[in-house]
Amino acid sequence: MTGATRPGDTHGGISVRHSAISGALLGVALMAAIDEIVFHQILGWHHFYDRSTPAVGLASDGLLHTAELLVLVAGFALLADVRRRHALAVRHFWAALLMGAGGFQLFDGLVNHKVFRVHQIRYDVDVWPYDLAWIAGALVFLAAGAILWWSARRSVRTSGLSDG
Amino acid sequence: MHDHPTHTGPGALALVVLLVAALGVALYIGAAVRLRRRGDAWPWWRDASVAAGAGAVVAAAVLPLVTAAVLPLPGGPFTAHMAGHLLVGMVGPLLIVLGRPVTLLLRTVPVGGTRAGLLTVLHSRPAALLTAPAVAAVLDMGGLWVLYRTPLFAAMHDDTLVAIVVHLHVFAAGMLFTVAICRLDPLRRRYGLPHLAVVLLVAGAVHAVLAKTLYAQSPPGTMFAASDLQAGAQLMYYGGDAVGVALAVVLAVRWYSGVGRARHAGGVGRARARTVTVGRARRPAA
Repeated sequence: MTGATRPGDTHGGISVRHSAISGALLGVALMAAIDEIVFHQILGWHHFYDRSTPAVGLASDGLLHTAELLVLVAGFALLADVRRRHALAVRHFWAALLMGAGGFQLFDGLVNHKVFRVHQIRYDVDVWPYDLAWIAGALVFLAAGAILWWSARRSVRTSGLSDG
Repeated sequence: MHDHPTHTGPGALALVVLLVAALGVALYIGAAVRLRRRGDAWPWWRDASVAAGAGAVVAAAVLPLVTAAVLPLPGGPFTAHMAGHLLVGMVGPLLIVLGRPVTLLLRTVPVGGTRAGLLTVLHSRPAALLTAPAVAAVLDMGGLWVLYRTPLFAAMHDDTLVAIVVHLHVFAAGMLFTVAICRLDPLRRRYGLPHLAVVLLVAGAVHAVLAKTLYAQSPPGTMFAASDLQAGAQLMYYGGDAVGVALAVVLAVRWYSGVGRARHAGGVGRARARTVTVGRARRPAA
């Protein structure tokens, strides 16, 4: 390994675990932010509050929304720390980010839209094609992340980096 | 104009707020200048932050005058109220707390009776209880819930005294909550990051839910135009988000520098103490 020349910056090699955690946190938070910005604000498809939301849905939505913000900050803080240690596994980071984004979208499409009925993707139209596209999109993200993770693991194995 | 007594109320109130804020900022900057002359390090941005925080509180007091006389805000009276609420209860307190006023006070008050008395108060049981994160969160969010979901909001608009008490409480509770989460000034008890993060999460969620319910239903005994109510509720929701993120960034920066210090001091390469194996980490880099 090269790098880590500053005094006090001891490095224990690449940290796949911390790279993956920060990637997953950022993936979840960024997809949540895209949802908020594109579908709520720009397109205006999602409603801020559609009055048919049950109380439990409203509470879970509040918790989830705030958690997304905290996760965004936590993901960046962890990424900054991993980079400071020169321990970022770049491909694992991106793979985890894609899987985090897909995982969030899947959760949003199934639990938020369908179970808690916080809001629907679109109103005054037949909603099922949108639901289908939403969930298919989630699966594409998950699959892309999984493939990247698999190839990253192979390259780690061949170059002999250890998990940390 | 003379049959509107409320017009003199906000004017006089804004003047008092302006004077108190100016006095506070002057005292702060005076103390900071003395500290620097003595040779202590005290970053200039803390002065700027406190001044901006005081400015935010003054802006909230002046806002009703501006919207009444000069320039009505887009939205309406409820949106204007909510902008003031954000400034007094969230933005102002955060900017003031970032300046660590209590630390500055303790460093500049002469060693002796006054300083000892201050420390006694700071380290007292009631102070520790009030600045417990969960207690501060209940006082802050509970107060908001009472304000918007009881006839208190309507009463505030009829009675200037009630309005003053409510705004003082919003400011005090906002300060308390910000202090309890950020913990930049010396406090008796320490809380771990998970504890602080969970309290921040729950408080943020309560704030968001309250904002969403206001979108559909105005406070009891009031009538606002639907567009005004919706704009105000969204301002509360996204404004709360912005300040929530800022609080989380304060926690993250504290964690980041704490981890860096610990690693530097211990000479170990791992962030978490439980995974640290000193023998391995001290081995020369492979």
